[in-house]
Amino acid sequence: MNNVQASISVLGTSALLFEAPGEMTLESQQRIWALAREAQSWPEVREAVPGMNNLMLSFARAPRTLGDLEARLQAAWLAARPLPLEGRVVELPVVYGGAGGPHMGDVVAHTGMGIDEIIERHSAPLYPVYALGSHPGYCYLGGMDPRIATPRRKVPVVSIPGGAVSIGGAQTGVSASEGPSGWNTIGSTSMRFFDPAQDPPALLRPGDSIRFRVEKVIR
Amino acid sequence: MTISNSDRVRQLVDWLSETDIARLELRGPGESICLQREGGRIVVAPDEPALATEDAPSVAATAASVGVFLHRHPLRDAAIAETGTAVRCGQIVGLLQIGALLLPVTSPCDGVVAAMLLEHGATAGYGERLVELHPLPAGA
Amino acid sequence: MIEILSASALATVQDLGRTGALRWGVGTSGAMDPLALAAGNILLGNDEGAAAVEVPVFPFQVRFAQDCAFAVTGADVAARLDDEPLLPWWSTLARAGQVLQLGLPQGGTWRASRAYLCVAGGIDVPPALGSRSTQLRGAFGGHEGRALRQGDSLRVGAASDARCGKGIGLVPPALALPLQLDDLPAIRVLPAAQYTNYTEASRATFWSEPWKITAQSDRYGYRLSGTRLEAVSALEMRSHGIVPGVIQVPPGGQPIVQMRDAQPSGGYPKLGTVIEADLWRLGQAPIGGRVRFVETNWDDAMAALAQTRRWLDEVRRLVELQRSQRGGR
Repeated sequence: MNNVQASISVLGTSALLFEAPGEMTLESQQRIWALAREAQSWPEVREAVPGMNNLMLSFARAPRTLGDLEARLQAAWLAARPLPLEGRVVELPVVYGGAGGPHMGDVVAHTGMGIDEIIERHSAPLYPVYALGSHPGYCYLGGMDPRIATPRRKVPVVSIPGGAVSIGGAQTGVSASEGPSGWNTIGSTSMRFFDPAQDPPALLRPGDSIRFRVEKVIR
Repeated sequence: MTISNSDRVRQLVDWLSETDIARLELRGPGESICLQREGGRIVVAPDEPALATEDAPSVAATAASVGVFLHRHPLRDAAIAETGTAVRCGQIVGLLQIGALLLPVTSPCDGVVAAMLLEHGATAGYGERLVELHPLPAGA
Repeated sequence: MIEILSASALATVQDLGRTGALRWGVGTSGAMDPLALAAGNILLGNDEGAAAVEVPVFPFQVRFAQDCAFAVTGADVAARLDDEPLLPWWSTLARAGQVLQLGLPQGGTWRASRAYLCVAGGIDVPPALGSRSTQLRGAFGGHEGRALRQGDSLRVGAASDARCGKGIGLVPPALALPLQLDDLPAIRVLPAAQYTNYTEASRATFWSEPWKITAQSDRYGYRLSGTRLEAVSALEMRSHGIVPGVIQVPPGGQPIVQMRDAQPSGGYPKLGTVIEADLWRLGQAPIGGRVRFVETNWDDAMAALAQTRRWLDEVRRLVELQRSQRGGR
């Protein structure tokens, strides 16, 4: 196991941020899940929230001094074994391109690939859900093909609808509700990802996986 | 029977007409009336703020507890009740601060604010007189 | 019921925020000035976290459909009940049919920007995920997950006590817990993970210069303008959890402070985080106004949090004492 010290920093007095060292891999993320499960039981912690190979501990009661909590966190990371959460595979039908994929052209331009190859590479993998964040029901996914990576937009779009399938840097994701975005939107899906009346309210959780199914291509 | 009762006023007007008195002011608790000769007749003089004169009876708003007396709200620059202004019974004329709390200092009657009896920021004892007022007739 | 008469934008139902839902990508929302909201509730005998109406744009008018004790805290907005001027941070009893008008924030001794209409019993909207705060992204919580519009009606909960303190007030925390630097509101900040990724000159600038709150500021984030801040290197960061108060510096060099409706995670470098105890000070700083940032440490930040807690406890103690004295019997 990687014994390089992880980085721990504070987010004001509201939370502690733990960043795992090394490459972002599924195994490392599974250790983050294990760490989250352990830390969720600590009295200082209100929520242990996994990110992309990192973990935020929001405080129920911020400790008077940090040393003990930091040491406990480092020790728990060293002891954390990958937690192979077994989830469901959710298949999302996607309409690629067209009005729902306004930035497909930018991905084409950046990668030098044609639309069909981009769609092929985007829809091939099974994407594990690493974490939820950003907005209600939104999933951070791992496993995107690095060859279709496209940098975040210089000028974010003020509003993209829920269901927008986008590429931001080396990541891909699906927007769960209307809002601004700096990612490149290449398609759309009609799946509902969040319902506050349900328990749990989010459709997906860490350990689930998403597969994008090509429903239609609009050129 | 009050002095401003209309039958009583008529009686007073009739009586005064028989005399050569030029002006009569009558005061009772909380009310007053002024009759004067104009031309050949006795008339009721209009209410004048001057009725609340220096030697008129005064009342005071008092401190309901120990606290710091404030003329103005801490967020504001202007006094809550400027001297010379008319206030209604129950209207806030100052504040009493107890730590974080602010209690109202209210006027015990309809009246005119005559004077702040304690400086802004000074400590008041229980029952201490804080704001002097000259009462006005009911409905004035 | 309270009927919204104004067409003014951006008023929302808020409480102290939605916690425990970060795991689903749901941020806290909640009042930008939680001290004003909590204190207004205490004045009326409510739980501290009862829901109220946060009003950032004025004038604003409501009608009380039934008798209702209320208090307007936060900015002094020259409130009037029918034609009667009200004191700020003061509990009042409205009779059915009376209209409450909130005017423009007054200058006075404290420049603030948001007012809170608190009512005895709290604003009674259905809780979503344990809170009555409005979650604008995703459109749930508060009143139908959106800002209030003319014609909306809000239910009022049952007041806890008929003797709730009518006709008493509070000295606002801006005066009880003052914090200024060079006549500007001072906001304490703890450095964050990428603090040393900014040049020494930029770090010095951050602490020593005033920052203007631009018109592009809102509940999602405050965009500040001032001297351009330079990073030592361009960092590509993994998405990670953030909290209200996190200060990010995009490539343009102008800092953005994430506020109550900010998304709960992000991938931008962080210079520092406004401490929880001072978020209300920033939340009340007006658009166009300027603030100063003050570097602090963990101990002092924790002491500041304890201080706000003590202030609220003192308020509750005094209000309850007053209520029991008035109750007599």
